[in-house]
Amino acid sequence: MLVSFSYRPRHSFIERFDPRARWIMSLALLFSIVLFWDIRYLSFFFLLSISQVFLARLTWQETRRAWLFILVLSTMMILVNTIITGGGTIGGVISGGKTLLQFQIKIPLTGWIIHYVLTRERVWFALAQFLRIISIGSLFLVIPFTMDPRKYGVTFRGIGLPDKLAFTMDLAFRFIPTLARDFQITLDAQRARGYEVEKIEGNLFTRIRRMAPLFVPVTMNAILAGEDITNAMDLRCFGLKKRTWVESLKYQGMDYVMIGVSVVILVGSLLLRFVFNTGDFWFPV
Amino acid sequence: MKKTLWAFGTREVVFAAIGAALYGVLSYATNLLQIPGAGNVSLRPAVAIPMFFGVAFGPIVGFLSGAIGNILSDLLSGYGFWPWWDLGNGLMALVPGLIYLSIKDFRSWGDLLKAEGMVILGVVLGMGIASLSEIWVSGIDLATAISLNFVPAFITNVINGLILVPILMVAYSAIVARSGR
Repeated sequence: MLVSFSYRPRHSFIERFDPRARWIMSLALLFSIVLFWDIRYLSFFFLLSISQVFLARLTWQETRRAWLFILVLSTMMILVNTIITGGGTIGGVISGGKTLLQFQIKIPLTGWIIHYVLTRERVWFALAQFLRIISIGSLFLVIPFTMDPRKYGVTFRGIGLPDKLAFTMDLAFRFIPTLARDFQITLDAQRARGYEVEKIEGNLFTRIRRMAPLFVPVTMNAILAGEDITNAMDLRCFGLKKRTWVESLKYQGMDYVMIGVSVVILVGSLLLRFVFNTGDFWFPV
Repeated sequence: MKKTLWAFGTREVVFAAIGAALYGVLSYATNLLQIPGAGNVSLRPAVAIPMFFGVAFGPIVGFLSGAIGNILSDLLSGYGFWPWWDLGNGLMALVPGLIYLSIKDFRSWGDLLKAEGMVILGVVLGMGIASLSEIWVSGIDLATAISLNFVPAFITNVINGLILVPILMVAYSAIVARSGR
């Protein structure tokens, strides 16, 4: 079983930036987006996020799965929350308002009547929700496709995470191909013994329990290997001094510009929201 | 060697990395293998891994296995990056780790039942916080967050945890003496 990350070098504009600057930008935009419910502000962030996707030279084929996941999730949430129930919380969908659609449904056998009203305010709130979710989703969707997995450890160290935490991330990435190989070997060995994971039968609980012949050997082998790795690292005095990294990252001029713009956007958003009290739910009258 | 609850030394670094990588790989693999589920509940057995690692190695290992593992799982599957769900998975595995010091025998009924109880608490806390975060991020109301996010996540994770964590604990007891720690 080949387990690989979605990353490949694309020589896109986005990849020229330091990964640390990109993470700072993404997090600053995330915190800025969640401050607003005004669709005019959300449109600005939506354009920023989507332009990042285009600048990364991502194709629909590559990102289809992620997009479908985001679209299905957001559609379900908006449909249930805003269109059907008229909920919405932080945005504060106004009750009442101009009716766009209304009808009654009588439930057979019970005689209950459901009176449904769709208002203009609900539609605008649904649109604001959609823009918000898509903006946040597309902000981070770009990262796995355009950031080298070998640089995650040094990137998070550069952002300020402790050495051990950053090394844990790095080590986790490095274990993936090894564990995927062990998983395949275990799967093949169990298949040779008549264990067909795709044909497990029984109720839900039985099916989960029958995953044990696959999970237990892989997990226990990994733990045994971990003991050897721990001894090897202790022998090399891991954790005693500040760690150096094989990959090194250096900020360039454009990275400082990106960080500067991120700070300006975040500070500006906070000022607009909490000092000038703008950005609440809005719809055209 | 004396164990401390919040230790984060070499051993914890290595096992947090292993737990995270296992969670990522097994999530990806079980997705790929299209394990038949039942009704609306899809099988997600890999979620037991970070919870077991919490019980076996402590709350920090559990938290990192869950959080980093969820990041890896989403990266491998191409779903992007969802930080509040990563935090939720981390908390879900941190809570069972709180009984790390009290586990004397991974095969005893008392310790297995303790672990089961903490698995339920962990899922409630982790998935609850992740679902409630959706209120802040997506602007949905509490009822939608509970019905669309919390309930499906709670059902799948708690069932997988309750069944597989004790199995992993019993298997681990066979090798715990071998490690000499």
